[in-house]
Amino acid sequence: MTVLRTSLRNFLAHKGRMALSAVAVLLSVAFVCGTLVFTDTMNATFDKLVATSASDVTVSPAKVDNAQQTGTPDTLPASLQARLARVPGVAAVVPEVSSQQATVADGRNQDIGSTTGAPTIVANWNPTQTRTVAITSGHTPLAPGDAVLDADTAAKHHLGIGDTLRVIAGSGDFRVTISGIATFKTTNPGAAVVYLDTPTAQQGLLGSRNAYTDFALDAAPGVSDDQLKARVDAAVGHGYQVQTAAEMQAQNQKDIGSFLGPMKSVLLGFAGIAVLVGVFLIVNTFSMLVAQRTREIGLMRAIGASRRQMNRSVLVEAVLLGVVGSLAGIGAGIGLAVGLIRLMSALGMHLSTADLTVKAATPLIGLAVGVVVTVVSAMLPARRAGAISPMAAMRDAGTPADARAGRVRAALGVLLTAAGGTALALAATASSASAGSGLLAVGVLLTLVGFVVVGPLLAGLVVRILGAVTLRWFGPVGRLAERNALRNPRRTGATAAALMIGLALVAGLSVVGDSLVASATSQMDRSVGADFIIQAGNGNPISPAAARAVHAAGHLAHVTDRTDVAATVTAPDGSKDRTTIAAATPSYTDDLQAKTVQGRLIDAYAPGAMSVPAGWAKSHKVALGDRLDVAFTSGRATRLTVEAITSDDTVFDRGAMYMNIADARKYLPADKFPANDMMFAAALPGQQSQAAAALKAATADYPQIKVRDQTDYKNMIQQQLDQLLNMIYALLALAIVVAVLGVVNTLALSVVERTREIGLMRAIGLSRRQLRRMVRLESVVIALFGAVLGVGLGMGWGVAAQKLLALSGLGVLSIPWTTIGVVFLGSAVVGLLAALFPAFRAGRMSILKAIATD
Amino acid sequence: MTTSVSSPPAQGSDSRASVAARARGLTKAYGSGETRVVALDAVDVDMPRGQFTAIMGPSGSGKSTLMHCLAGLDTASSGRIWVGETEITKLRDKRLTRLRRDSIGFVFQAFNLLPTLTALENITLPMDIAGRTPDRAWLDRVVTTVGLAGRLKHRPAQLSGGQQQRVAVARALAARPEIIFGDEPTGNLDSRAGAEILGFLRRSVDELGQTIVMVTHDPVAASYADRVLYLADGRIVDEMHAPTADAVLERMKSFDSRGRTS
Repeated sequence: MTVLRTSLRNFLAHKGRMALSAVAVLLSVAFVCGTLVFTDTMNATFDKLVATSASDVTVSPAKVDNAQQTGTPDTLPASLQARLARVPGVAAVVPEVSSQQATVADGRNQDIGSTTGAPTIVANWNPTQTRTVAITSGHTPLAPGDAVLDADTAAKHHLGIGDTLRVIAGSGDFRVTISGIATFKTTNPGAAVVYLDTPTAQQGLLGSRNAYTDFALDAAPGVSDDQLKARVDAAVGHGYQVQTAAEMQAQNQKDIGSFLGPMKSVLLGFAGIAVLVGVFLIVNTFSMLVAQRTREIGLMRAIGASRRQMNRSVLVEAVLLGVVGSLAGIGAGIGLAVGLIRLMSALGMHLSTADLTVKAATPLIGLAVGVVVTVVSAMLPARRAGAISPMAAMRDAGTPADARAGRVRAALGVLLTAAGGTALALAATASSASAGSGLLAVGVLLTLVGFVVVGPLLAGLVVRILGAVTLRWFGPVGRLAERNALRNPRRTGATAAALMIGLALVAGLSVVGDSLVASATSQMDRSVGADFIIQAGNGNPISPAAARAVHAAGHLAHVTDRTDVAATVTAPDGSKDRTTIAAATPSYTDDLQAKTVQGRLIDAYAPGAMSVPAGWAKSHKVALGDRLDVAFTSGRATRLTVEAITSDDTVFDRGAMYMNIADARKYLPADKFPANDMMFAAALPGQQSQAAAALKAATADYPQIKVRDQTDYKNMIQQQLDQLLNMIYALLALAIVVAVLGVVNTLALSVVERTREIGLMRAIGLSRRQLRRMVRLESVVIALFGAVLGVGLGMGWGVAAQKLLALSGLGVLSIPWTTIGVVFLGSAVVGLLAALFPAFRAGRMSILKAIATD
Repeated sequence: MTTSVSSPPAQGSDSRASVAARARGLTKAYGSGETRVVALDAVDVDMPRGQFTAIMGPSGSGKSTLMHCLAGLDTASSGRIWVGETEITKLRDKRLTRLRRDSIGFVFQAFNLLPTLTALENITLPMDIAGRTPDRAWLDRVVTTVGLAGRLKHRPAQLSGGQQQRVAVARALAARPEIIFGDEPTGNLDSRAGAEILGFLRRSVDELGQTIVMVTHDPVAASYADRVLYLADGRIVDEMHAPTADAVLERMKSFDSRGRTS
């Protein structure tokens, strides 16, 4: 009990010194809990949406695996309605038309679709729609040409009743006039929704008045969904997909899970990094608290407290810290989730905070993470507390470091780093990507641990070099700062290591990212012959009408159609591969000059021919001239001859099989042939600018179509990558913030520890300004030390990864010196900021009190 | 005794210049109202230049407070203090710091040195901070005087307590301050090491013309001084010139027999 009481008193007496550790625990736990609450809320929101909208039983076209992306929804014949109506137990049959593959433009020809990746849904107005929306102004679509728009989209694009919309669908485009505005009763997750009268929807979206996309069935009283499903199955046979409301919901949950799952893992991964960094901070805090309490602990031991009691007293403090930090973290995590939900709403994804889902497991997980991490971190300092001899009570504080431990540490660190370095070198020279990536992971982990272990020993060398370069400008104050940074290498090492982790990831990823852009750019310069690259901006295929418009543009030498045709390819070894074949106009060989390892690429465009990629050919033992069975989804099967084997050393179309698009059309009915996913065009010699203008003019009617020249395309790759990297950096920012807290913590505790020294220096004439500068410089040196370690380690990782990825086309190594420079400068600034508070505190210390401190 | 090395700061012709530090009506009180405690009660004191003054008195008499105020470490509640020509009671922290750096030397009872610096670096620290180059010849003489020549590269942790105090004395002397304040500089030392330190202080007054003010409760230490000031209840109650250890001890005994509270 005494142990608990002293722990509690110590904890309360030093709550200031624990504050930053508690914040570190809080941040990590908040990130974990925030992620859980946010993803659970997303799940719940979609669940609710499906639950309210699903009919008792829904009949839709049979699901096809590896389906062709035709750009038009699959349909059911209208005649099915009457057959379904006759099934006993069916109270009502509601025919539905719904498409997510249309583009809707406003009067200024601007796409009104979501910018967050949510779909644009165009559907017929039918009674089931009233489950999710209510018409809040105007009227339902009564006549052909009427349309109802959802209120959120209407507000965002300043549209109202009477405004015109243009619907661009696979089967053509048409105009409608807004007759009403619908407001969602449940949460609308950001989709733009347009309701049309049924004949207009049928004709416009499906190209036929005799088709629907599905039928919603209401069960008669007393008939369960499952009974009804069984009866429908029996009545109409198995050519359709028949789902009960529960099945729809389960299906939907699976779909959302497959999207939210990876996102959750990534977020939790970053939370994990922050937790790891927090460990360093907590270890440092407890080490320093134990060191400061050496005499006190020695006294306790001298008057009879056992080693275990001392050990336990530190762990009890850790548990207290963990509990306090975690509880606050759980609260902050829920706050974070609310913030994210608000942010998503601002971005157009309307999640409601009313749906905030905090599962019982969430706080438990948060508490477990916080407490376990804190206690594990405190283990080593606790053991050290137990090892303090009763003699320490009589000695002055501070025992000389154990030289043997230093040697063991050095040997271990060098060994780990060497092993990790070897793994990285092996990964860099690996001949296969799969073997190499395993080595890379091992290498990254070992070098990281190695650097953490060896960090305190490197501190001496690196800090002296940094001191020689930077601190000498600051005279004696600089020298004092350098000596202070060096006086406890383990502390400096651990503080810098925390910063190192985040910065190493930033440096490593920036090297890989920059190399990717450089490789793509260099490959474009070498192998892309097309002047223009045409894609649909919303991820849908290029509609046939838009494709025709591109073909009609003037000043062009050629236009290439390209699409991915779904097919099952059977290799001679009997293995079946459900894949897609890139079917294109033969001019594609000029637009993207894919390298071959065997055969000529153009020969793969002959009738009955194809190409396969080298890796696939190797693993399936396919040789030039082999004939492969190719069964086109929803089409015929045939045998194609392998006329070329393409290299895998490419950024574009990696692993693609090629064939002639004209040949592919022979094996598929016209309505099942996939729409172009990309198009390419080359200008007539010397007419580059005229051709660009002609293409722009030709596609002006299709706001979803983006025409890019090579420069635009390179910029797009750069932008997409930058966006991705920025997102990763933003997530890593948490780890860096925790590391900076660590620097603040170390400095603040050091200042407390050095109270007497500071008093002495002030007494003999060190000015406040000089004192503050000394603390700041120490902070900058620690931060720069972390940056040197982190950038060094990260560049090693990045280079090894690039060498490995060179097998997959990432041939150019490019080191982003700007980013590296920013990391260094940023670290120096971070060091300055971290020192603000400790320096202020040091400056404010009363000299007399400092001298009097025992 | 004459010396070949020039003595501390140039002396003016008027009488003030012969005083290194002085206080008039110096009062230091803590708290207010009922709980007001007066540590120094309107003290008038002069510290003559080139003299070694010891301040004695029972604990709680205000002797440390007097020293702290004279040295610009503590602020006076009222009254005026001069160090050399400068009135320090009006100075802000910045000027006061500079004054301590350039005109005052300190030797504390313990923890006098920065553990990260070598002995020599500790000695030159006040000048380094000021950005001044130490006078090499003077430095050598000081180092030789205190007998540290072979130990200049050592860190404080590698020095004995007596050696550490000698480094502190050397630091105080090296910058040739107007006045050196010692706060029980021998309090942590055995009598032999203590005698050594006191010998150095005495010699620095005799040979180098240094002014020293030292707080002590040790009659033997006080006997090294030219003059002893006795404090009780925040007032100077007595003064003794050319003290001997026995005389000081007798004087102290008389305080104790009066049974004053501390």
